[in-house]
Amino acid sequence: MEIGAVIAGLFTLAILTFLYRDNPVYKMAESLLIGVSIGYVLVITWSSTLVDLLFEPLFAQGALSLTLPLLLGLMMFSRFHHRMSFLSRIPIAVMIGSGAGVAIPAMLEQRTLKQMSATVMPLLTTSGRPDPAAIVILAGVLTTLCYFYFSREHKGMLGVAAKIGTYFLMIFFGTTFGYTVMSRMSTFIGRMEFLLTDFLRLTG
Amino acid sequence: MRLQTRHWVFASLFVLIAVVMASGIRLSVPVSPETQRMYDFIDSLPAGAVVLLSFDHEASSLPEIQPITRALLRHCFEHDLRPVGLALLAEGTAIGYRLMQTTAREYGKEYGIDYAYLGFKPQYVAAILSMGESISATFPQDYLGRPYDSLALLHGVENYDDVAAVLSIADGSFTTHWMEYGGRYGVPVIAGVTAAMVTTYDPYLASGQMQAMVGGLRGAAEYEKLLGRKGGGGARGMLAQSAAHLYVILLIILGNVAYFIKRRRSA
Repeated sequence: MEIGAVIAGLFTLAILTFLYRDNPVYKMAESLLIGVSIGYVLVITWSSTLVDLLFEPLFAQGALSLTLPLLLGLMMFSRFHHRMSFLSRIPIAVMIGSGAGVAIPAMLEQRTLKQMSATVMPLLTTSGRPDPAAIVILAGVLTTLCYFYFSREHKGMLGVAAKIGTYFLMIFFGTTFGYTVMSRMSTFIGRMEFLLTDFLRLTG
Repeated sequence: MRLQTRHWVFASLFVLIAVVMASGIRLSVPVSPETQRMYDFIDSLPAGAVVLLSFDHEASSLPEIQPITRALLRHCFEHDLRPVGLALLAEGTAIGYRLMQTTAREYGKEYGIDYAYLGFKPQYVAAILSMGESISATFPQDYLGRPYDSLALLHGVENYDDVAAVLSIADGSFTTHWMEYGGRYGVPVIAGVTAAMVTTYDPYLASGQMQAMVGGLRGAAEYEKLLGRKGGGGARGMLAQSAAHLYVILLIILGNVAYFIKRRRSA
């Protein structure tokens, strides 16, 4: 049996002991998992970010333009010094400014405008019959928007529409919750398959 | 400590899944239109086309991600497409490489000619936008440290214009970023996602911003069926999943019955 499968199997069992109650074996496995994950990400980030994108081009290839991001990066560490901490505002301002500049147009287009245009569709099919999907989407969008309209009390027509909107919301939350349960169950089944097949070798 | 109800629930679920999986019965699932759409999309790509495979997930979602990725990669290799892998999340890096390597081996595909792996690139927004200008400048070397130009497969692959589609394997919101920033360059985006993310991406599929999507263990099982493969990871898990879901439904009903009986008695 592979040593990797034995270690993974023992740690899987250690994690599953939490189902009984919190215990030192679980704590040890949890701490090791977190430590290994952080160590792995740290090594990958060190080599693929700092070495590949900064140290190598700046010091080995002489790309002096990288001095500016290096300085901005170093300024972030000024937060550790009480009197110099104001310097960290500069790289944060650059990050937020450039990040917002790149993200806002892209998000506005893809998450708002394109989704809105996909919502507005003909209520009749090409043969002239009502399109149930389009009608349900229209009703769902309008009534859900009514629910989130708080400038007037939800009474009368607005109240009825808002009530219908809550049903659409509940269907969405129910579906999402169902899929999440399915996802978590898949994770458990995946671990079970590993335990039965690779660790205990009970199934083929 | 006395055993509580939840301990019995966990223990019985454990036993149920173990028994069902040990039974070796495979559940046949009907193929959904969404999975069929993915199959047709990949089938419509010309042989030799380059598909960017982005492993945008963490290690914890492997039980779902692995069968989905294997099924999609198998279709790519069967159809003589040339997948090029990369990772925008550090945790997905080694997993993606291993999955591509082991699946390629099944088909006798050669690294650098039939498939390649570029590795991890931090700051996903910058990475996606940068690849729109130049993939070779974004990844001067592959995962194994070989220069980009030394891989025969990557000759002539300069940016998204030379890529047939981006396949995002995700357990979070990274596929959205591919649509937001990769979509700017007009590259078609397809996705293999965990079940928990299906409702998040459904509107993008309906609007046509995403070309196709396979979701969860069920999606993997459906795709394996379309490929004509029996006993894949998806199909193996589906019976256990269905049994577990029925068990959960039964527990919900029992819980509600117990609640109403208790309420009536106390009244």
